[in-house]
Amino acid sequence: MRLSRGRLIAGGLIVLTVLGFVFLRGPTPAISIKAETIQTFGPVDITNTMLTSWIVVIIMVTIVYLGTRRRDLVPRGFQNMFEAALEAFYNLVVSVAGEKNGRRFFPVVATLFFFILVSNLLSLFPMFSVIGLVREEEHGFVMERTDVGPLPVSWVGLSSLSSLSGDSIDEDDPDAEEQLREANEDGKIVGELIPLFRGPNTDLNTPLALAIVSAIAVESWGIASLGLGGYGRKFFNFGGMFRGLFRLNFRQFFQGGIDAFVGILELISEIVRLISFTFRLFGNMFAGEVVILMFTFLTPLVVTVLFYGLELFVGIIQAFIFAILTLVFGMMAVAHGEAQAAEGGHEEGPGAMASEAQN
Amino acid sequence: MVFLAEGGIGALGINLPSLIAQLINFTFLLIVLGWAFKRFLFPLLDERRKRIQEGLEASEEAKKHLAQTETETAAELDKARQEGQGLIGQAQQMSSRIQEEARQSARTETETLLERARSEIQMERDAAIADLRREFADLTITAAERVIRRSLDRTAHRELIEEVLAEAPQGDDGKDGHT
Repeated sequence: MRLSRGRLIAGGLIVLTVLGFVFLRGPTPAISIKAETIQTFGPVDITNTMLTSWIVVIIMVTIVYLGTRRRDLVPRGFQNMFEAALEAFYNLVVSVAGEKNGRRFFPVVATLFFFILVSNLLSLFPMFSVIGLVREEEHGFVMERTDVGPLPVSWVGLSSLSSLSGDSIDEDDPDAEEQLREANEDGKIVGELIPLFRGPNTDLNTPLALAIVSAIAVESWGIASLGLGGYGRKFFNFGGMFRGLFRLNFRQFFQGGIDAFVGILELISEIVRLISFTFRLFGNMFAGEVVILMFTFLTPLVVTVLFYGLELFVGIIQAFIFAILTLVFGMMAVAHGEAQAAEGGHEEGPGAMASEAQN
Repeated sequence: MVFLAEGGIGALGINLPSLIAQLINFTFLLIVLGWAFKRFLFPLLDERRKRIQEGLEASEEAKKHLAQTETETAAELDKARQEGQGLIGQAQQMSSRIQEEARQSARTETETLLERARSEIQMERDAAIADLRREFADLTITAAERVIRRSLDRTAHRELIEEVLAEAPQGDDGKDGHT
């Protein structure tokens, strides 16, 4: 019987999946929400996400240096690719915010986008989450050990026909001590693996820092457009309410009260925005990392590739969402200011205008 | 800070030193990239846009110039054609005039020649008439001598005849003599 190429490929993939399942499975991965500390300097823990962030910064600064080294009017090679990417994003920003605001917003929005994008894509490299330092403990992975020159190298034991997952000693296992002793007698070491590299956005500190920068940028654009007092009135808008109280005008008081309430809601929404920014990015990237880790544990070959594709897409989308939301919030802050400026003599915003119209 | 404490949201990994480190990290990147964008990218984009704009404008200008040149050329050609036609008209007029003058001159010359011929003919005629008159006188005398058979004074008779002929009207002399 003649087999079609499709069937051969499908059969090969199934065989690979099974072989991976039987022989290449490691122990259950230890998943930690907190970033793992690699080294401590005084009060500062150098975590693996921090180290990766530095690498991302170095990569980006290098890219910018290489991209702007030659400034030919007719770009070629790397400069062409660099400028094409930036110009595409710049055109997008300008199409949303206009030429003047677009140029003002672009550095922040583009840096956010490209930082998150490079971080997310970099964290898909195979060295992430699996290569690291070993901290010997009484439980954890059971690892083989050998010396490569002066460097001791350890690796996690893999699955086999007799055991369908790599060796590990569970903390809650009553035989933990016995298993530890056996492992030590076999020349193996037991301990935790501290990954050297981890996606920066899988550590809450990074998305929170990005969200804080984004919020500061948005507020500063708003203040620059409306002035500190004018922008503050967006959140603390009690003028109409007090005027209604002094004039004993219930309708104006009521309208002013609504304006004040809306202002408070605006303030809350600013804080909520910070949280939503942080947790959206963190949640997506951390979940992606966990999915990839778990599928690498379950079926190391073939199936994991699908999730790598999915994470590639998610990484780009999340970077885009973060940057574009910053841009849109910036536009809203500036548009609020511009609308206020266009209203001229009207001090109090839409609510007060409505109450004045009613009077 | 409560929310950064180990038991609170700190359990999720948020801690102030890491947060500050990430803030500094990103702010550094933002400053470098912002500087690079403002120092290199924006001027380059502006310059490129300006060049493209200038190129388009120059192309538009060249197109306009070409159209204008074509119009001018057409106008020049039209003018040259009109001038050519004018020159041809003038040449035709001149040719007609020259022909007319030549014709006139030929006519004048012909008339002059005719006039001269006529006067020569007249002179010849007058000479012939004079000869004829003389011959006739001789014949008349000869005839008269034969008729009267007597010799006459030839010279006196001739004078007499001449006198008679001179008195007779010029055009009718011949006719009268024959009768």
